[in-house]
Amino acid sequence: MTTPVLEIRDLSVSYHTDRGLLRALRNINIQIHPGRIIGIVGESGCGKSTLISTIIRLLAPNAQIEGGSILFRRNDLLGLDPAAMRALRGNEISMVFQDPMTSLNPVMTIGRQMTDIQYRDNRSKAEKLARAASLLERVGIADPADQLSRYPHHLSGGMRQRVAIAMALMTEPALLIADEPTTALDATLEVQIIHRLQQLQQDFGCAILFISHHLGVIAELCDEVVVMYAGEVVESGTTRDVFLKPRHPYTRRLLECDPARIEQATRNLPVIAGNLPDLANLPGGCVFRPRCDESIDICTRERPPLDGVDHCTACHVTGQ
Amino acid sequence: MSELLKVRDLRVRYPVAGGMASMLDRNRRSYVDVVHGVSLDIERGETLAIVGESGSGKTTLALALCGLAPVLDGEVRFDGAVLPKGNDSYLRPDRRRVSLMFQDPVGSLSPRMTVRRLLGEPFRIHSELSDDPDRSALELLSLVGLSTDFADRYPHQLSGGQARRVCLARALAQKPDLLIADEPTAGLDVSIQGEVLNLLSEIQQELGLGIMIITHNLNIVRHVAEQMAIMYLGRFLEQGLSELVFQQPRHPYTAALLAANPSTNPDAKAMRIDLSGEVPSLLQRPPGCEFHNRCPRVQAECRESFPARESSNGKQAWNCFHALP
Amino acid sequence: MSSRAGYLSVTLASLRKDPLGMMGLIIVVVILLTSIFASQLAPHDPLEVDVYNRLQNPTWHHWLGTDQLGRDVLSRVLFGGRIALKVALVAISVSLGIGLLLGMMAGFGPVWLDRLLVVCFDTLRSFPTIMFALAIVALTGPSLNTVIGVIIITSIPVYARIVRTQTQALRDNDFILAERAMGASTSRILGHHILPNIAAPLLILASMDVPAVVGMEAGLSFLGLGVSPPTASWGSILNDGYSYLRNSPWPIIAGGIPLILVTLGFTFLGESLRDILDPKLRRKGGET
Repeated sequence: MTTPVLEIRDLSVSYHTDRGLLRALRNINIQIHPGRIIGIVGESGCGKSTLISTIIRLLAPNAQIEGGSILFRRNDLLGLDPAAMRALRGNEISMVFQDPMTSLNPVMTIGRQMTDIQYRDNRSKAEKLARAASLLERVGIADPADQLSRYPHHLSGGMRQRVAIAMALMTEPALLIADEPTTALDATLEVQIIHRLQQLQQDFGCAILFISHHLGVIAELCDEVVVMYAGEVVESGTTRDVFLKPRHPYTRRLLECDPARIEQATRNLPVIAGNLPDLANLPGGCVFRPRCDESIDICTRERPPLDGVDHCTACHVTGQ
Repeated sequence: MSELLKVRDLRVRYPVAGGMASMLDRNRRSYVDVVHGVSLDIERGETLAIVGESGSGKTTLALALCGLAPVLDGEVRFDGAVLPKGNDSYLRPDRRRVSLMFQDPVGSLSPRMTVRRLLGEPFRIHSELSDDPDRSALELLSLVGLSTDFADRYPHQLSGGQARRVCLARALAQKPDLLIADEPTAGLDVSIQGEVLNLLSEIQQELGLGIMIITHNLNIVRHVAEQMAIMYLGRFLEQGLSELVFQQPRHPYTAALLAANPSTNPDAKAMRIDLSGEVPSLLQRPPGCEFHNRCPRVQAECRESFPARESSNGKQAWNCFHALP
Repeated sequence: MSSRAGYLSVTLASLRKDPLGMMGLIIVVVILLTSIFASQLAPHDPLEVDVYNRLQNPTWHHWLGTDQLGRDVLSRVLFGGRIALKVALVAISVSLGIGLLLGMMAGFGPVWLDRLLVVCFDTLRSFPTIMFALAIVALTGPSLNTVIGVIIITSIPVYARIVRTQTQALRDNDFILAERAMGASTSRILGHHILPNIAAPLLILASMDVPAVVGMEAGLSFLGLGVSPPTASWGSILNDGYSYLRNSPWPIIAGGIPLILVTLGFTFLGESLRDILDPKLRRKGGET
């Protein structure tokens, strides 16, 4: 058993809002081993943005960490002081964000931005530029040396996202966090970029935490997947297990709703009836129970624990 | 089934502010042709899906049909009658018959108006539609399955799905014959995409509307649209019955789009068609077939002229010199 | 928060949390009340001359002393407040109103109209206010209405330009397109959809303009271009006090303090309101 690069143990985070305490994350347990690509699947309100913000410790002022720990190579990130955290960010833990239009500084050239983030190195400027160019080539940008002198607005969305990925990999991080990096891109570009990510991951050997609500992308890219719903982990396991043999009712219904999976053309597409629970006013018992059609008595009373060895699920009915 | 909308060779041209550079350089164009010759037909009770990636011109096409884009050329017949060209007055007499659901549902609702007032707007603008705007507004709410609690909410207090329903309700207020839905599922969770699409379907059956759905999500097209058209850089490259296009795409771009769909079945072997190169800029429209710089089947003539339209028994048509068999 | 009344109460509640904003609000309210009730509050008639008691230091009888004609400075300051606020109210509301109209026309209308109006705005803006005032006064003679007129003419282009920019920013938004798609007329769009969305920042701007306008009036009156004696305006009090500075500093102090207070009060209040009403400055988590 190798040491996980990142281990989230029993993490709970809440927000203080006008409506009360919003319990955004509750007892999250996730393990990321070196060299693996973990996908987090979840719809709006599942807590994935809060999770990312907590890992890199850039939470909103009204957030509160209620408990748990985030171990990065055995160090609890939650206990680090700001300077130590800054030393990790962009260095050993880097991020690629969702919106390629706003994630690059519009008034600096690509080359300047890519050399700036190498500030921790002692190399000469020429060497840094060369390194930047080589990285651009590896993410599939043509004429990398020319692109260094261009500004972000000269590049298309797809190219900007590749630049963002190149910048994130520049420091050869142990963990790359990608927050819906392809959601804003067209389908053909999306596919190109996730393939590129796969290759790069093999070359660099980093672990990747990939967040998306696009099931197909997760299925293609990730080795393991974690399914989140309304602030909890409801299922986790290898991609094959979770997508081919889903155990949690939410996962099953979610897969059923994917229009690509529906063989017969129909005018009546399946949905998951009901609404997300109010995070400030959670029902007792299982968080998915109000929308679940397989629930039994105990589901109203007790919250199901995350059970299982490799393929885990939090469900009284289908777990264990 | 009567023909509702008939468009022939529509062109939309936008002027581009060139500044000093374009004054000095004659070659630098000062306009872009966002829609470059589009022809389509929609019948009552039928749904046409326009599929394309960003920059293909699909939203501009929708705006043009609503009189909100500068039409350069082409003919648009609505219910048999030819509509006059010209910006803004384009569809004025018939403006009520076409309504548009915008891509950004919250952004297309006036931020300081309640839902009740927003839904009452169409009735206040066209007073002949109703004598009691407030009551009609509430009727519309129930038509789209929203409770009256929503009447007093502001747009920023609505979720994406709820805002979409309000936009749909508003679009239906003017009793249109044609409804254009621009990316009705973008930004919606998979588990509720079906709600909006099912609702559109129900309403179409009830009211006999024609619907044009604009989307980049191929997965839903099979389920919601009888006809579809693939748009690239302002032109249709392929169009026809959805079932046919899905089973047997003729244009290489269509095939690439269909293949670019990642599957949720990890065992499915992906038959990817890799499209190299970047989408050309509209400011420098490539000669010939605009797709030639990315096409795996490109030959010399593709760079010289745009292929003529070919079709198979009127149910599927494409523009390609080297179409797939 | 689903009604207009709710919006107001939330704003007031937020204002209460900001000490500077509250201070500003209190100052503004005090100035407003003392000016409105000047006749009731003033211990003496501001025009009553008492030459035997000229240039006195503050006493129980005259809290701020007397000026060179023995008039009670405090009373003059209180009535001066009325002048200041009258000028501010009239000048700002008229210039805001006209600026709003012209700005919306420029921002929403055809390009040629925009170009024409912008040229007009820039031309008016290029006149230094004092020079302009001097020129007009040379023609019409000094009076308060001249001052108000000059301030209006030089303020219109400022508001108009801001309104124009805001209108342009909104013009291409989807919700405006949606209204046009439904067949709404231009006046409907401007009145119901553009105006409500630009009103809040404009009102804050206008309230922060009050000190500037009051200062302009004081300045012009100080130069003798505004109110004619014996009317009391803060500017004329300063003017009188300036000549007799060696004899008594009190008129100057008395004339200057209200100007400072007005500036502080409206600025604190305006800035606080702007921060409250600007949703982008509020960063809160938990909103999906």
